[in-house]
Amino acid sequence: MKLLIEKNTSNFDNLKTDGIILSLKDYSVQSTIYYDLDEIKEIINKYPKLEVFIKMNKNIFNDEIDRLKEMLIELNKLNIKGIFFYDLAILNIKQELNLDVDLVWDQSHMVNNYRTCDYYYNEGVKYALLGKEITLEEIKEIVEKSKITSIVEVVSTPAIAYSKRKLLTNYFKSINKDKKDTLEILEKVSNKYYIVKESNNGTSFYTKDIMNGTSIIKDLYSVNTPYIIMREEGIPDFDELVNDTHEYIENECKDNDYIEKYKKLGDNTNFFFKETMYKVK
Amino acid sequence: MKKIELLSPAGDLERLKVTLLYGADAVYIGGQKYSLRANATNFSLEEIKEACDFAHKLGKRVHLTLNIVFHNSDMAGVEEYIKDVVACGIDAFIVSDPFIISYIKKNFPKVEVHLSTQNSTTNYETVLFFEKNGVDRVVLARELSKKEIKEIIDKTNTDIEVFIHGAMCTCFSGRCALSNYVTNRDANRGGCAQICRFAFKTDGEDFTLATKDMNMSKYIKDLIDIGVTSMKVEGRMRSIYYLATVIGTYRKIVDELYDNTLTPEKMEVYEERLNRVANRETTSHYFMHEADEKDQYFTGRQELSNQDYLGLITGYDKENKCIVLVERNYFKKGDLVEIFTPSGTTYEYKIKNIYDEDMNELDVARHPEEVLKLPFDKEVEEYSMIRLIRGA
Repeated sequence: MKLLIEKNTSNFDNLKTDGIILSLKDYSVQSTIYYDLDEIKEIINKYPKLEVFIKMNKNIFNDEIDRLKEMLIELNKLNIKGIFFYDLAILNIKQELNLDVDLVWDQSHMVNNYRTCDYYYNEGVKYALLGKEITLEEIKEIVEKSKITSIVEVVSTPAIAYSKRKLLTNYFKSINKDKKDTLEILEKVSNKYYIVKESNNGTSFYTKDIMNGTSIIKDLYSVNTPYIIMREEGIPDFDELVNDTHEYIENECKDNDYIEKYKKLGDNTNFFFKETMYKVK
Repeated sequence: MKKIELLSPAGDLERLKVTLLYGADAVYIGGQKYSLRANATNFSLEEIKEACDFAHKLGKRVHLTLNIVFHNSDMAGVEEYIKDVVACGIDAFIVSDPFIISYIKKNFPKVEVHLSTQNSTTNYETVLFFEKNGVDRVVLARELSKKEIKEIIDKTNTDIEVFIHGAMCTCFSGRCALSNYVTNRDANRGGCAQICRFAFKTDGEDFTLATKDMNMSKYIKDLIDIGVTSMKVEGRMRSIYYLATVIGTYRKIVDELYDNTLTPEKMEVYEERLNRVANRETTSHYFMHEADEKDQYFTGRQELSNQDYLGLITGYDKENKCIVLVERNYFKKGDLVEIFTPSGTTYEYKIKNIYDEDMNELDVARHPEEVLKLPFDKEVEEYSMIRLIRGA
């Protein structure tokens, strides 16, 4: 099982990780740091041993298609492992132009079953980042039954919604106050906090609570999950967590001290052990 | 030239019949499984068959939603279900999952497959992807402008459907799990709790992200001109009065645009009708400009109560020359009302007398569901209704 990380800086020195995720400027959302093509090339050259994945998870509009094609042709020349995509325009262009670059199906809340994963595999998609709203049992079933290479997000403050609207600009305009790009909001009934962030490409929502999946890594390891992801935003002492996790995996997830140590990230295990419901009658 | 389709929601058989009679060319319905409105009444297999028979006799179509985002366990039984609903006679499936799309196209090639808006399709390359995978129609994302929709139509060969009326999501459809996190109700399997209508707190103030509703009545000619195939009205849980008013009004607008009889004066009347039945303010959102603060609400209270719907006409008392109605909202002698019918005829009418079922005279109608009679010298069609124009 390999570890992928998304960091808030471009410094990957002294980090025991198998790979990194770099968000491509203008084509990705819900990241803290975005890179242009030259910066990506520089990082690839600087860290030749790391598997580099590129994130391009934005909804694409017509006026972006021509540049998107050029960008995919450029990325196809680089030594990257794959491109995380949300919009199927990227898959269509890969097929149209016969590009070799591998893709990661990353449609946020929609990557939830093994048959659809296999559909994408048959369309030439090598990897899938599984949805964060499914249970551990569902994840394991997908890992075991699908031909696609599964990637599971285990530690992050999850991105949970994305709007094209400039919701913070609009809100601050409505109350005649100076705009902020980040806002913490409280849901009164559940008494839970969420983070709202606006960028040029729209507005995203995140949980403030950390999704702490350190305790399920051994289950994922036991079914040969190919990759897990940790994202730095909102996570304290992230580098230490990364190095400890890498060591934990190297030692076949047998070290219970790791699990004990990372209980400090909180007891929110997201939907790993909790099924959502949809019929309320 | 093929006329643009007017596509209506229908939450149950009665709504389906009403909306088809009021002028919808096609309806979309949910079955009791795999639909994104898990808490609507939804249709049993027998009802789907009856719906198809009813629609087909009128030369109209039925589309069935199968647009949840599937989990592993949801896949069990879906193939059998698809077979069963095809046998009922549905004309098209509305689907978001590409595995399901490929399954239907392979096994039931004569049934159309429409890509759900849940997929938030915003560009022509994505339409081309689904086109080569057999999709017959794409329901575009609601985040698109007129120019963007036109470019998609110009660069693809797939039928394009767009939303024209009703409630809006704040986020991209399919890219929102607020409901899952805030209430544990699965937004993408039919349990959306509409968190974007909640008021959150920040620095002691309310923070809301709710949107106003969509109303594209001013832009129907634009949609026809750019080549849109189908115009969709939102709202499988809406009442028969809402459907009769909204669909009946859009029917008039479309027909009068095609035969060049739509005047500014008529349009004013139609817009007034649509505004009065709405329970929120409306805008055209992204169609003519990027959506902004004018398309949103920033107060907790957004719903407006509407009491214009006075009654459903259920028959005619020939002996006493009275229409028979079931009351829905309070009215009284002297009120100016409008009787409107599925075929589009309207009668302005001042209420002079109100009778109960036994012809006892009343001053006011104040008991919803009570059967009442109003003198009227001609019989009107089944499913005609009465709405208030102006109180006395």
